[in-house]
Amino acid sequence: MKLMVSALVLGGVLAGCALLNPPPSFTSENTRAHSPSQAQEAPPLAAPASQPTAPAGASAPTPPEQQAPQQPQFTLGAAASALVDDAHTQEQSHNFGLAAETLERALSIEPRNPLVWIELGRENILAGNPSQAYGMGRKALYLASGDPRAQSSAWQLIAASLRAQGRNDEAYVAEEKAVALDPN
Amino acid sequence: MLAGLLGCGAYVCYLNLLVTHRFEGLRWTLPAHVYAAPMDLYAGLQLSGPQLEHELQRLSYHPVPELEQPGSYRVTGNRIDVALRAVQFADGSRPATVLSVLFGPTGIQDLRDSTGREVPVTRLDPLLIGSLFPVDGVDRIVVTPQEVPPLLPAALKAVEDRTFDTNRGVDPLAMLRALWVDLRSHRIEEGGSTLTQQLVKSYFLTNRQTLGRKVREAIMAVSLATHFSKDDLMNAYINEIFLGQDGNRSIHGFGLASEFYFGKPLSELDLPQIATLVAIVRGPTYYDPRSHAQRTLARRNLVLQILAQQGVIKPDQAQIAQRQPLGVTAGASGAYYPAYLDLVRRTLQRDYPEKELTEAGLRIYTSLDPRVQELAEQSLDAELRVLDKRHRRRRVDAKLEGAVVVTSPQSGDVLAIVGGRNVDFDGFNRALDANRSIGSLIKPFIYLTALETGRYNAATVIQDQPVSIKLANGRYWRPENFTRRNYGPVPVVRALAESLNDATVGVGMDIGLDKISATLQRFGLQQAPDQVPAMLLGSIDIPPLDVAQLYNGIADGGFRTPLRAVRAVVSADGKPLKAYPLQVTQVAPSADVYEVESMMEQVMTHGTGLPALSVLPPGLVTAGKSGTSSQDRDSWFAGFSGGELAVVWVGYDHYQPTGLTGSEGALPVWAHLMASLGTTSLVMPPPEGVTDTWIDYLTGMGAPPGCPGAVPVQVALPTGTQVPPMPGCGTGTTAQTLFQRAGQLLHRLVH
Repeated sequence: MKLMVSALVLGGVLAGCALLNPPPSFTSENTRAHSPSQAQEAPPLAAPASQPTAPAGASAPTPPEQQAPQQPQFTLGAAASALVDDAHTQEQSHNFGLAAETLERALSIEPRNPLVWIELGRENILAGNPSQAYGMGRKALYLASGDPRAQSSAWQLIAASLRAQGRNDEAYVAEEKAVALDPN
Repeated sequence: MLAGLLGCGAYVCYLNLLVTHRFEGLRWTLPAHVYAAPMDLYAGLQLSGPQLEHELQRLSYHPVPELEQPGSYRVTGNRIDVALRAVQFADGSRPATVLSVLFGPTGIQDLRDSTGREVPVTRLDPLLIGSLFPVDGVDRIVVTPQEVPPLLPAALKAVEDRTFDTNRGVDPLAMLRALWVDLRSHRIEEGGSTLTQQLVKSYFLTNRQTLGRKVREAIMAVSLATHFSKDDLMNAYINEIFLGQDGNRSIHGFGLASEFYFGKPLSELDLPQIATLVAIVRGPTYYDPRSHAQRTLARRNLVLQILAQQGVIKPDQAQIAQRQPLGVTAGASGAYYPAYLDLVRRTLQRDYPEKELTEAGLRIYTSLDPRVQELAEQSLDAELRVLDKRHRRRRVDAKLEGAVVVTSPQSGDVLAIVGGRNVDFDGFNRALDANRSIGSLIKPFIYLTALETGRYNAATVIQDQPVSIKLANGRYWRPENFTRRNYGPVPVVRALAESLNDATVGVGMDIGLDKISATLQRFGLQQAPDQVPAMLLGSIDIPPLDVAQLYNGIADGGFRTPLRAVRAVVSADGKPLKAYPLQVTQVAPSADVYEVESMMEQVMTHGTGLPALSVLPPGLVTAGKSGTSSQDRDSWFAGFSGGELAVVWVGYDHYQPTGLTGSEGALPVWAHLMASLGTTSLVMPPPEGVTDTWIDYLTGMGAPPGCPGAVPVQVALPTGTQVPPMPGCGTGTTAQTLFQRAGQLLHRLVH
């Protein structure tokens, strides 16, 4: 029975994770305006020469109100995507611990990508750690700011983690938020 | 007579039983080996060819004109081909393989395997960074016969025991010869020991050279040679024998000796290196290649000559090898980070008894990033040298010390720990144990608590005026600003950026010490601080690691992620034993933390972090806070970029005043480190509930860029906050999200 409930709630999360496969890359226009916009999560080891170059506070770019709004969209880079695939394979052989370690590698490559956090949260539900999955869902939601589809996936993860903890009323509210953000 | 014979027989039987029983169950105590985090390589990683070469050399890979065995690499234009070694990771193993890395203008452009197939991501070897060995100090890496180059046993036999293959554990002729020498000199000069006797001596007996011990050694050697094959004895010898001393660590076996002296696995050693190890066997202290290079070189060349004479190698091979330098590494192989190992040991001691930790051959995989560690050490050393010069003028009779902790905020991984100026010193670890007053480092938590009440925001005007608080003992506490003057009405952002004490104390007393204490504990402060007004100016004594835990939560958007040095523990045979998975708990509303972050960015551009601007790469967005304890006893800086959080402490061990504020002592170290890391900017879209808004830094009024007479800064404000305009600068600002505005625009277009 417990397994069935888990399977049902995971179904929702999995559906949300269908957006892991690409469309256009994330372009954040609504970051703090003196911070440069960034196409994707920069790799952890960045050569100084290639740093984004908006002087902090010194010369201010166009204020947000003058910019055309653009819907950001998170996607996974090739390296993180390969690791997520590996994690799925490990998960199929019920090696959840190994899958989580693989996803943590993906996270070290794209630490601010909510999609990786959603995957890791999903893994935690499978491994029987719904409270950790909840934290990861909240984290994904925070990082997904401005991307309704990623936010919707984060809410689905939160709902699944709540349901796995028997907090069904809260789970229902979270699911409604997920649907409102991305009815598809 | 008969009784004597019976006694001797019983003694021989006893030794025989003892030897066979113990040798059959031969299990060396294996120290735990500790590894750094392996570097992931993938297309898009901003890593240059020289940087990859540096990483490969750190792992003791060597450049070659043509790829040979694992452990080598070849540079061809903008491509590096690497013959990767077979390695064991925490989550599995990788066979030896060849990898081609193609570099473009911004970093790695393409990765391919030996068949030309694209590789999306792969890892370098995890760097061995140390061992956790038992109290007796015995450290070793056990090798299988397959991992031993055939030349080594051949050389050992040629030099140490030419009759090894045929003798029965002892060589009577050699023993008689040694006895003759000893009798003539009236002391024991030669042992005439076979390899089996040396093994017996090392494994079963003490170092005392007495006739009784020699007899016991001979009986046991005969017993071993009778019951066990020569291959087994050779393998045991190769893993057992003592080959050097490294402080309180004794190097046993050729596997570890190879890493210790040459920084590479035994299987990769060449002829002169093998000859050097064989030379060391005769006397690891006397023939220490680092302390007595000439003596060891002479002995090595003698070994090579013997090998040629015995037909193990050809004479011309010996001659070529004799021309080679010793080629030992400058220090112990890999790296040695005692401050980091200290944290690893403390973490593991919670889960493992000491015996298991130091004798079961565990493989410990950590979060340490050798590159970050190296840069943190360099930054502290370089900047403290500069500060030393200034201090000479102050005639302070003590040595300025420091500590650094670097974390990855998202994962909580501790990337580097520097416990003091002498990074090789395995003693007082300031990063973990120096409980020092944090001073103004507390202020972001005060303002975060204030924001959470809903009564304050970054633009709220507060009063920076003299404060007088009656204490429980009836006395009055009258804190002052660092400049000893007051600034009157100031917005919150300025009070934080310039670390105004009086304004902050006013806010802190207004919201309540209990609430601030609770905030600190939510972020990971282990013990509730004394709820006294001085707490508002940071009278909380904690070590840099604990500060890093607190600030990690801010850098991570209000999520507490327990800092971790250990990622996984694997058994000697590769079985996963324990993982330390990432944990994350939201401890503050992201919108409020984002607002605090936005103010901490202004610390770097208008406040006490401003001196860092000239050191940091142009345009790098960071956020931080300085801290100075009373009488300048502690100089702190804690700050973060998009990739790393670094906490720096500078001060004297005996609490003398340093004469340095946080901006003068710790900030230069922090800025030097951040500049060298090649880190990324702090960039985040505002979470729901706050909006980036332009205000005047001095008044908190709405002031877009270009507003005459204003100092426009961008801070996050709760969405919908009405900010009065600066005179002559528009009609005021209402903080709205971009999407709210986009939605309104769309609504107008549709309807």
